[in-house]
Amino acid sequence: MTSDITLPFYQALTTDVNALSTCQAQDDLQGIRREALERFSVLGLPTLKTEAWRYSNIQRYLKEFPYELLYATTTVPASVVAQAAIPELDCYRIVLVNGQLQADHSELPTGKGITIGALSAHTQAPGFTKWFNKQHHLAQESLATLNTALFADGLFIELATNTVIDKPVHIVHVYTAAQHAFIQPRHLWVLNRNAAATIIESSVHPDANVVTFANSVLETVVEDNAELWHYNIQQGDQHFREVHTTAAQQQANSRYHHFNFTLPGTPFTRNNLSVALNGSYTETNLNGLYIANGSQHVDNHTFMDHIMPNCNSNELYKGVLLDSADGVFTGRILVHQEAQKTNAFQQNNNLLLGAKADINSQPQLEIYADDVKCSHGFTAGQFSEESMFYLRSRGIGEDAAKALMVNAFSHDITDEVKVPALQHYLQEQIAAIMNN
Amino acid sequence: MLTIKNLHAEVEGKQILKGINLEIGKGETHAIMGPNGSGKSSLASVLAGRENYTVTEGEVWFNGKNLLDLSPEDRAREGVFLAFQYPVEIPGVSNLNFLKTALNEIRTYKGLPAIEGRDFLKLTKEKQQLVDFNANLMNRSLNEGFSGGEKKRNEIFQLAMLDPQLAILDETDSGLDIDALRIVSNGVNKLRDAEKSFVVITHYQRLLEYIVPDFVHVLYNGRIIKTGTKELALELEERGYDWLKEELHLKESV
Amino acid sequence: MINSNEIIDDIANKEYEFGFTTDIEMDIAPPGLNEDIIRFISAKKNEPEWLLEWRLKGFAAFKKMQFPSWQHFKMPELDLQALSYYAAPKKKVQLNSLDEVDPELLATFEKLGIPLNEQKALAGVAVDAVFDSVSVATTFKGKLKEMGVIFCSFGEAVQEYPDLVKKYLGTVVPHSDNIFAALNSAVFSDGSFTYIPKGVRCPMELSTYFRINAQNTGQFERTLIIADEGSYVSYLEGCTAPMRDENQLHAAVVELVALDHAEIKYSTVQNWYPGDKDGKGGIYNFVTKRGICKGNASKISWTQVETGSAITWKYPSVILQGDYSEGEFYSVAVVRNKQIADTGTKIHHIGKGTKSRIISKGISAGRGDNSYRGLVAVGPRADNARNFTQCDSLLIGNECGSHTFPYIESRNKTAMIEHEATTSKIGEDQIFYLNARGIDTEKAVALIVNGYVKEVLNQLPMEFAVEAQKLLSITLEGSVG
Repeated sequence: MTSDITLPFYQALTTDVNALSTCQAQDDLQGIRREALERFSVLGLPTLKTEAWRYSNIQRYLKEFPYELLYATTTVPASVVAQAAIPELDCYRIVLVNGQLQADHSELPTGKGITIGALSAHTQAPGFTKWFNKQHHLAQESLATLNTALFADGLFIELATNTVIDKPVHIVHVYTAAQHAFIQPRHLWVLNRNAAATIIESSVHPDANVVTFANSVLETVVEDNAELWHYNIQQGDQHFREVHTTAAQQQANSRYHHFNFTLPGTPFTRNNLSVALNGSYTETNLNGLYIANGSQHVDNHTFMDHIMPNCNSNELYKGVLLDSADGVFTGRILVHQEAQKTNAFQQNNNLLLGAKADINSQPQLEIYADDVKCSHGFTAGQFSEESMFYLRSRGIGEDAAKALMVNAFSHDITDEVKVPALQHYLQEQIAAIMNN
Repeated sequence: MLTIKNLHAEVEGKQILKGINLEIGKGETHAIMGPNGSGKSSLASVLAGRENYTVTEGEVWFNGKNLLDLSPEDRAREGVFLAFQYPVEIPGVSNLNFLKTALNEIRTYKGLPAIEGRDFLKLTKEKQQLVDFNANLMNRSLNEGFSGGEKKRNEIFQLAMLDPQLAILDETDSGLDIDALRIVSNGVNKLRDAEKSFVVITHYQRLLEYIVPDFVHVLYNGRIIKTGTKELALELEERGYDWLKEELHLKESV
Repeated sequence: MINSNEIIDDIANKEYEFGFTTDIEMDIAPPGLNEDIIRFISAKKNEPEWLLEWRLKGFAAFKKMQFPSWQHFKMPELDLQALSYYAAPKKKVQLNSLDEVDPELLATFEKLGIPLNEQKALAGVAVDAVFDSVSVATTFKGKLKEMGVIFCSFGEAVQEYPDLVKKYLGTVVPHSDNIFAALNSAVFSDGSFTYIPKGVRCPMELSTYFRINAQNTGQFERTLIIADEGSYVSYLEGCTAPMRDENQLHAAVVELVALDHAEIKYSTVQNWYPGDKDGKGGIYNFVTKRGICKGNASKISWTQVETGSAITWKYPSVILQGDYSEGEFYSVAVVRNKQIADTGTKIHHIGKGTKSRIISKGISAGRGDNSYRGLVAVGPRADNARNFTQCDSLLIGNECGSHTFPYIESRNKTAMIEHEATTSKIGEDQIFYLNARGIDTEKAVALIVNGYVKEVLNQLPMEFAVEAQKLLSITLEGSVG
C-alpha cells in the first residue's frame, strides 16, 4: 500500500475491518462492498506516482480538511434547487441531496416502463441485479472501489424496452453538510432495448463555509439500439472538490452521446469516463469542454474500449485555461484484436490564455487490430494572431475579441448540444466567464 | 485628415518603408500603385497597427491624433478601416455577432449607447442592399468557406456598417473576376462622400477604372517616387514601372 | 496475386541475412558483474583513476536501481551475472592503417557491406568499427586531424584527450540516469569519441559500425560527440550481430553536446539480430541516447531506422537549453515475428524560441508489437516554443500491435504544440490501383511502404538512405517489399 494513511476515514477503514457496518450499509451488498474494500486496499489512494494520476495531486485535497464520511439525510429548501434552473428548459427534475433523492422538489417522469428512484430502494430490480458493479473498468480506479465499498445512495433509472422519456430529465445535485464532508453518491442508469433518454446533470452548493468532496460513480448501460444523451455540467463552487467516475457500456447498435462541461468554480475536478463497447455497430460521441480560471485544476481521463468490431467513436475535448489554471487530458483508445473495422477518432485542443496556465495531455492509441482507422490529435496554443488583429482592426477590444474567440473555440462542442435551451444557457455561461 | 511624415518601418529586421510622406484630405481618394514588394501592403498594415511591423522613424497624424500611439482597435474606433487583402476566416464566430460586437465597441468608445437589436437589423439590411451583399452569408461563420469574391464583398459590407472616415483598401481587386470587381467597386462608390477618404492600394490600373482616384502615387522600394492624377495610372498601365525606376536611378546617380 | 496470409508467412519466415559469426580469437573476461570486473576493465584499458571512480559510482547507482515497469511489454528476465563484460579481439596491435587490421575482421566487415575500403573513402566516409565493443580501426584519421577534428575510439580519447572526455562525460546522460545507463557507466568497454572544433564543418560523414560477435557478452559502448561553436557534423551508426539462440544485451549510451550555433546530425540504422520467428534469441537493445543543445541556435537531429533486435527500447532525446535551439527526431521502426519496439523521443524545451519536430513511422507485422512513446515538455521560460509531432502506424496482419503513448506538457502560454497520430493498414484500394497498373502486390506494398517512410529516409545521407531502404525491403520481403 502506497497511500498516505493520515486521512481519518482511511484510518477508520483500515484499522477496523468492520467499519462497513458503521456505514449504514445494512443492505444485501455486503459481499460486493467487502470485495471492493479489499480491492481498494490493494490499489490505495492515488499518488503522483500512480501513472493515471501523475498530473493530479488528489492527496493535497484529501488532506486539506478532516472530512467526515457523510450518510445523514438532509433536506434543502426549494430556493436552493431553484438556483440550478436552466431558463426556458422544459424538463423533468430530479433533486438529489448528497446523492439522496429528495422527492418533494422533484418532478419525476412517469409512465409505463419508467423506473426511477433511490438506488437503495431498487437493489432487487432486474436492471440492478444484472448490471450493478459489473463494469470491470471500475475495479481499476481506486476511488471507484472506495465508492462501491462506502456509498450510501444515488439514483436508479431503468427504462424498459421501447421506453422513451418525452422530455429531458434534469438531475440537480445538491451538496451540503454541517461539517467538511466526503460524499459518495452512486448511480445506475439502464436503458433497455430501443429505449431513449436525455439526461442533464448540474449541481448546487448552498454552504459557503463547509467543504464537500464528492466521489461519485455512475454506471450507465445502453442496451441494443437504445440511445442516451447525457450532459454533465460542472460549475461547482470554491468549497467543492470532485472525483466523478462514469462507466458506460454499450450493446449492439446503441448510441451514447456524452457531454462534459467543466466551468470555473470547483478547485479540483477529476473526471474518469470509460466506455466499453460490448456490441457491434455502435456510435459513441464524447464531447468535453473545460474552461478553468484561478488556480483551478481540471483533469479529464477518458477510455474508449473497442471490444467489438464495426464500432465508431468520436471524441473531442477542448480546453480554455485562464490565469494559472491546470488542465489535464488523458484519452486512451484501446482496440482489441477482434474489433476489426473500428473507426476511433480523438482530438484534444487547448487554448492557454493565462500567464501561468498549464496543460498536460496524453492521447493514447493501443491497437491490436489491423483493419481500423484510428487517430488522435492534440494542439496547445493561443489564438491565431491574424484573427486577433482582424477583430481588433474592426474596433473590437482585446478582451471582447478574446471572448469572441473563446466562444468560437467552444462552438464545436456547444453546437452539438441538441437541447436548444441548454445550448443557449451554456453559451451564456461561457460568455459570462469571458466577460468577467 | 491623415498626414504621414517620413514614415520608416521594418518587419523582422528588414526595412520596408523608407520615408513615406503623404497628405490625405477629407473626401479624397488616393490610389497607391507600385510593383510587387514595393511596400504597398506594408503601408496599409502599419496604418492599421499590425504588431509585427515596427515603426523606426516618422509620424502619422489622423485628425490631430498620433495614430502610431493607438492600439489597432482604437485606430478602428477613431475611424480608420482596413479592407484586408486576405480576410481571415474565423470558424464559430458568426458574421452577425461579430459585426454587432464591433459596432457597439466603436459606439461605446464614442460615448454612444449600444445599438438596439431592431436598429441593428435595419442597418444591416440597408447596408446589405447598398453594397449588394448576400444576406445568407450573415448567419454563417466569419468568412468561413466564403469564396474569394464573397470575402472581399464582406470587407466592403463591413466598411459600410462601421462607417469609418478613412478606408484603406488593400488590393481589394486581387483574385476578383470582372463581375465581382464591378460589384465591389460599385459598393465602394456608393460609400464615397465628402466626409470619407479612401486609400486604394492596387497593382493594376483596372480597379481605378471603377474607383476613380483624385491622386495616384507610385510606391517603389519603400518610398513614393511619383505622384500624379488618374492619368498617371493609365501611363503606368501602358509603360509599366520600369521607366519610373530608370528615372529614379538617374536622379539618384546625379 | 499473393494473398495476405502468404505475405505474412513470408515476413514471419524471413531469415536474418547478417547472422554469421566470425571466427576470431577473443579475449574474454569471465562472466559476472562486480567491482573486480570493473577494475579489470579499467586496468585493461589503462584508464586514469578518475574514470575508474566514475565507473564505480555508476556501479553503485546501478545496484540501487530496479528494472523499470512502465514499458508496454513484458520485461525479460535478465541475468546480468551470466554475462561477460569484456570481449576483445585477442590481437592487440597498434593500428595505423587498414592493412594492419585482421583480415578476417575485414572479411566480416565486407560481408556486412561496411564501407571500410577505398571505395567508401572516395565517397568521403570516415569509419570507426566497433567489434564487440572494442574499436578496431578508424580510417581517415589523418585527414580529419588536419582540420582539428577528433574522431577516435573512446579508449583512445581517454588516453589522448582526457580533459575533453572528463569535461563532457556524463554531462548529458549522468551515471545514474537509468539502470541501463548506470550499467553502461560501470562497464563500458569502448565506443567512439568525436570532437569538432569551433567553426569547422566536418567535411565527411563520420561513421561507426557496431557488431556483437562473442557469445554471452553484452555490448556496452559509449559515444560522446561534442560540436563546438559554429561547427557541424553528420554521424552515422550501423549495427549488426550474429544469429544466436540466446539473447544478448546491448546497453549503449550516446551523449551529444552542441554548443552555440553548432549542429549535430546523428543517424542510426539498427539491424541487430532480431531473433527467429518464434522469438528465440535476438538482441535486447536498451540504449540511452540524449543530446543537449547547450548553445544558442544550436541543432540536434536524430534519425533512426530500427529493423533489428528482439526488443528495442530507446528514446533518443534532445534538451533544448539554448535559446532558439532546434531538435528533430525522425524514426522508422519495423517489427515482425515476435519483435518488440518501444521507442520515441523526449524533447525538453527550456530556452526561448526553441523548435522541435518529431516524425515517427511505425510498421508492425507478424506478431510484432510497436509502441511510440514520447514526451514534449515546454518549460515556463520557453517563450514561443514550437513543436510538431506526427506519429503514424501501419499494421500488416491482425496479430501485431501498434501503440502511441505521447506525453505533452506545456507550461508556457506562448508555446504552440501540435501532435497528430494515425493508425491504419495499407489500403486495399491503393494496392488494387497499383495492381491495375500492372504492379504485383509485393511491389505495390513495397512502393506504398517506401512512400510511407520517405519523409524519414530523406533525412539520411544518400548512401545510408539507400542502405536503409534495402534493409527495409529485406526485412519485409515477400510482402512489404
